[in-house]
Amino acid sequence: MIPQVVTARWRRSDGRWRRLFVPVLPVALLLSPLLLLAVFGGMIACLATRVSPLGALRGVGRVLWALPGTRFEIDDGRMAVLVSVR
Amino acid sequence: MNEQRRQILQLLAEGRITADEADSLIDALERDQPKAPPGAAPRSKSRPRYLRVVVNSLDEFDDGPSRINVRVPLQLLRAGVRLTTLIPPQALAKVNTELGRVGVPIDLNELKPQHVEDLIDQLGDVDVDIDDPSATVRVYCE
Repeated sequence: MIPQVVTARWRRSDGRWRRLFVPVLPVALLLSPLLLLAVFGGMIACLATRVSPLGALRGVGRVLWALPGTRFEIDDGRMAVLVSVR
Repeated sequence: MNEQRRQILQLLAEGRITADEADSLIDALERDQPKAPPGAAPRSKSRPRYLRVVVNSLDEFDDGPSRINVRVPLQLLRAGVRLTTLIPPQALAKVNTELGRVGVPIDLNELKPQHVEDLIDQLGDVDVDIDDPSATVRVYCE
């Protein structure tokens, strides 16, 4: 399953939390022209370095598909960051 | 209770066999039961899905305690390992040369994805627990 929502939380200097919810699919659709350019750039880079472009695409897809469930939480004194992929 | 044991108890209840005979029959039945192989995992144990790293430390400075909590899906590790198969052989040769130069004689060509995947499969049994007066570190799978 591809990631649906990426949640980022961080604590501001006044102690209050800020939250940012990023819906992956709508944002990917919005940035699709840039993503397309990035894919083309990646394919050219693959051909230049003699790496199979299809293999690279498959590998990146596998990484994306495996992302849901990832969670990073760092709380260090006044600084705190949480990134969660669902 | 399985069917054979039930039949033995039924015979005992009907008085067709004595208690000693029923006991010896049940013993024989238990001896005939196939035992699980010693290395086999219990069926009820579910396969771990995440690698967890939890660090709690009492900060020596004024900022207060620190806490790190990381959860990584094991599937993500597998996907990352598969990405290494894309590294071209000439790049691997260069990496091997550089590793040898700095005193780490590891041949990355010998590192097959299957081996690393086997390693990841066995991560479920890993449990690292470090308990220090100023910090605790735990690495485990869940």
